[in-house]
Amino acid sequence: MIASTGLLPQILLVLTLLMPLVAAMLVSLLRRPLALLPWMALPGLVTALIAPIGSSLEVPVLLIGFNLELDRTGAVFLGFGSLLWLLAGIYAAGYLAGGRRLQSFVVFWLLTMSGTLGTFVAGDVVTFYLAFSLMSLAVYGLVIHDRTGAAYRAGRIYIVLAILGETAMLAALTLAATHAESLQFAAVRGALAASPWSGFALAGLIIGLGIKAGLAPLHVWLPLAHPQAPTPASAVLSGVIVKAGIIGLIRLLPMDAAAAPWGEVLIFLGLGTAYYGVLCGLLQRDVKAMLAYSTLSQMGLVVALLGSGIGVADPTRNLDAAVLYAAHHGLAKGALFLAVGVLAVAGGARFRLVALAVTGFAAFAVAGLPFTGGAIAKLAIKTPLGSGTAGALVMVSAVGTALLMTRFLWVLAKPTAQQRPGVPEWRLTVPWAASAVAALAVPAWLFADLTGYRFGVLADPANVRDAGWPILVALLLALAAYRLWRRPAPTVPQGDLVVVAEALARWAGAWGRRLAAAWAERPALPSPVPAAAILAAVDGLERRLRRWTLSGPTLVLLAIMLSWSLWH
Amino acid sequence: MNQLLPVLVLCTSLVPALLIFFVKESQQRTRTFVNLAGAVGKVVMMGVMLEGVARGVLYETRLELLPGLELLLRVDALSLLFLTLSAFLWLLTTIYAISYLGNGPHRSRFFGFFSLCVAATTGIALSGTLITFFIFYELLTLSTWPLVAHRGNAESIAAGKRYLAYTMAASAVLLLGMVWLETLAGPIEFTVTGRLTEVDATALQVIFWLLIAGLGVKTALVPLHGWLPAAMVAPAPVSALLHAVAVVKAGAFGIVRVVYDVYGTVLLHDLALGVPLAVVASVTIIYGSVRALQQSDLKRRLAYSTVSQVSYIVLGVSMLGPFAAIGGLAHLVHQGLMKITMFFAAGALAERMGIYKVDELDGVGRVMPWTAAALSIGALGMIGLPPMAGFISKWYLGVGAFQGGQAWVVLVLVGSSLLNAMYFLPLLYRAWFLPPPRAVEPGRERPLGLIAPAVVSAAASVLVGVFAAMPFSPLAWAALIIERTYAP
Repeated sequence: MIASTGLLPQILLVLTLLMPLVAAMLVSLLRRPLALLPWMALPGLVTALIAPIGSSLEVPVLLIGFNLELDRTGAVFLGFGSLLWLLAGIYAAGYLAGGRRLQSFVVFWLLTMSGTLGTFVAGDVVTFYLAFSLMSLAVYGLVIHDRTGAAYRAGRIYIVLAILGETAMLAALTLAATHAESLQFAAVRGALAASPWSGFALAGLIIGLGIKAGLAPLHVWLPLAHPQAPTPASAVLSGVIVKAGIIGLIRLLPMDAAAAPWGEVLIFLGLGTAYYGVLCGLLQRDVKAMLAYSTLSQMGLVVALLGSGIGVADPTRNLDAAVLYAAHHGLAKGALFLAVGVLAVAGGARFRLVALAVTGFAAFAVAGLPFTGGAIAKLAIKTPLGSGTAGALVMVSAVGTALLMTRFLWVLAKPTAQQRPGVPEWRLTVPWAASAVAALAVPAWLFADLTGYRFGVLADPANVRDAGWPILVALLLALAAYRLWRRPAPTVPQGDLVVVAEALARWAGAWGRRLAAAWAERPALPSPVPAAAILAAVDGLERRLRRWTLSGPTLVLLAIMLSWSLWH
Repeated sequence: MNQLLPVLVLCTSLVPALLIFFVKESQQRTRTFVNLAGAVGKVVMMGVMLEGVARGVLYETRLELLPGLELLLRVDALSLLFLTLSAFLWLLTTIYAISYLGNGPHRSRFFGFFSLCVAATTGIALSGTLITFFIFYELLTLSTWPLVAHRGNAESIAAGKRYLAYTMAASAVLLLGMVWLETLAGPIEFTVTGRLTEVDATALQVIFWLLIAGLGVKTALVPLHGWLPAAMVAPAPVSALLHAVAVVKAGAFGIVRVVYDVYGTVLLHDLALGVPLAVVASVTIIYGSVRALQQSDLKRRLAYSTVSQVSYIVLGVSMLGPFAAIGGLAHLVHQGLMKITMFFAAGALAERMGIYKVDELDGVGRVMPWTAAALSIGALGMIGLPPMAGFISKWYLGVGAFQGGQAWVVLVLVGSSLLNAMYFLPLLYRAWFLPPPRAVEPGRERPLGLIAPAVVSAAASVLVGVFAAMPFSPLAWAALIIERTYAP
């Protein structure tokens, strides 16, 4: 091991990934495995907070080289990511207490966590790919945790896309590594823009990472998986796991002018996803599906932001803004998912009111409500996006997000069958409230560092107006819809396009079976070789050979004679 | 000593073979002792030679067979790659086979031919000339046949017949190519290249395809693969050895020798033979995977997967560039470890649970967790996920393809990965995520000899991936071979 930094940060980096992995292997020895979950996210959080930026660890004997590195981007992702994993871990201990298949849940939770946090601190492309693959596969176990038909279907669609993404990424990374002659991100990024097949490689990369980030039309797994996974798993899925796709893009997208056309592509795909997500989200009945659509819509904005940074003189602003936006979204969306579980069981009227108010705050923060973490995030992305069409479309998308959040809150407020009187247990409420607070505090903390602005700009009337009007418009639209729309709301099936794909697959499968049946019943043709004669000849040989008692020693004898003759 | 060692290594399997044929059926302990003594002795010698060859020591024995016909046993880096694999896996398979066969009939016959088969494999690895290679290659054919037909029922006999028909025809073709080549260029030794530059190019092209066709049967190149799925009726340890080390690897190893040590990459490049060979390998990779997808029998699915995976080796060397070749050679070992794991596991599942079909795997993860875990590791490695061994192979093959300017090969790799996922992930899904159909009492994972080999080889297939960058890892050794080939 090459010690380029102090020993303690290196130990912390290793523990961040290794502790959950080792714990996953020992789960079967524990009587109460759920109690383990929050603790296993702790090393990650500590690392993000106390390890100095630039800490790194290189273990050249592993794989084709293994590197961990904590840069500023990684530290932010690791910080909010492990915080949310920790809070969701506490929540899971309350949410799943007394449930079935706890060991399986804990194992996949820990593996997913190790993989996800690994993508944040990976120092080269192979380490990143390793962590990404671990996460990709382990998520499957969380999605199908309930073992219902719908969960299996969501899992199947997820794993198909995940494997597609893995292979697309592997092809892209091998290509880039060939031309980079190094596995470092910077070298690979440069090679991606310059190599003769850069289009091929970038397409593979965008497919592989875009699937995780929920980029349309590869987003279909998100709205299926979120409602199926247990609520704490949905929270980390939207809050942290989709961010692995985002950090991958931050690390690997070449930002120089050579890749400029890809910038346009990403802006187009990102904005398309943003609007499409809102539209499909509004037509959902399940609150978690609404949140999932909101997630992919928000990630669309981040992708557009990254795309707009390609080819500009100083893309750092775009990248930093994306980091800040991701951090806020992760914590806020985590809070919203956790709220779903809290409000599903909370019966006390006064508690429900408070809970809805807090949730509403977090929900509108996602749409950019003034003086929230969301407003900070929106402000951060405003300048880099510019005042052109893309910038305007992002601004207007906030109306859609606010509308979607209004509908979410509306459906969330309805009483449920599982309600029990009083306040839910602390293991549900505390993580939920804490993540809502963190969604406000963390962006505020990072604001100056990542944007260069001072806090005063948040109170600037122009900024308050820009952040506030979309929400007002959305509320007015919602009110109008409530008063004027008399029929039941139209719906889109969860996973929208996937329904078409599934129908196509069934149709192709039926045709395939029909063709196979026709092939099996084809008329026999005369064989071009005298197969029967050959087989008869072999038969004769075989009959003689079958007397092994003779043939075995004969063979050995031959061998001995051979070797004897050799010596002479 | 350096002269004696190659012969001694050969004897570690030849002598046990000889002894075992004369051991009575009932003398289980004697047979086991002889078997294990040979296997362990071989592993020890391998260790000595690995260290020596890394330093540059040459182990060579030259024996005059007839005037002008020489038998040359030589240990170079490439032969050690294959030898070490076979020594390690032979040890595991012997332990496995002892438990697997238990008190079954004809064990002396089985273990005798089993050792003979390994002796032949060792000879193939040690061969320093084309003639020597051919002699051991034929010995391998003859000694594996009784193993394939071991069960003696109609199906086994039919499979054995098919195996012989394929391999005998192949031998004729190989012999023709070999004799023709030696007529034109004199005795072929696997050392110096450049000897063939004087020979007519067309003749060389035809001879190349004759050699490839002859070797392609054992390598199971499409369309010469028909015997392999049929040979599935053999007992599990035989399948394991056939698929991981002995037969298919002997063919692939032969192709590697022809490419590197008979023709040489420069000549093959000039003759424009690399790309066609890569195409044949690619077709085999995709075809094997597609066929695997259609199989419902677990062992048949594994067999078609072998058809596909072994051609990675051929693909790697056919691209004629260093990186792809390293990937291909490393895969010689990687595929062996992963595939033997899967066959060990499949055999244990058949023996202990009566599982033969893919859809009978439901819930075995709960009943036989160690075996199911080993099977899963093998499957994930085959798909090429890190940190398993298969990832390392795929990475090097991919980088090598781009280096050689053959981007299409990457599409083959991607397609193969996807197909591998399609036919292997359902096994994992059934084993771990579906409930077992009926309540099964625990304690199925016995005896140790039936379960442990799969666990050990699964662990090895993870370790060679995780520690790929260590000296003496298969990857590092493959790199050493290629380094010595390109800069003698």
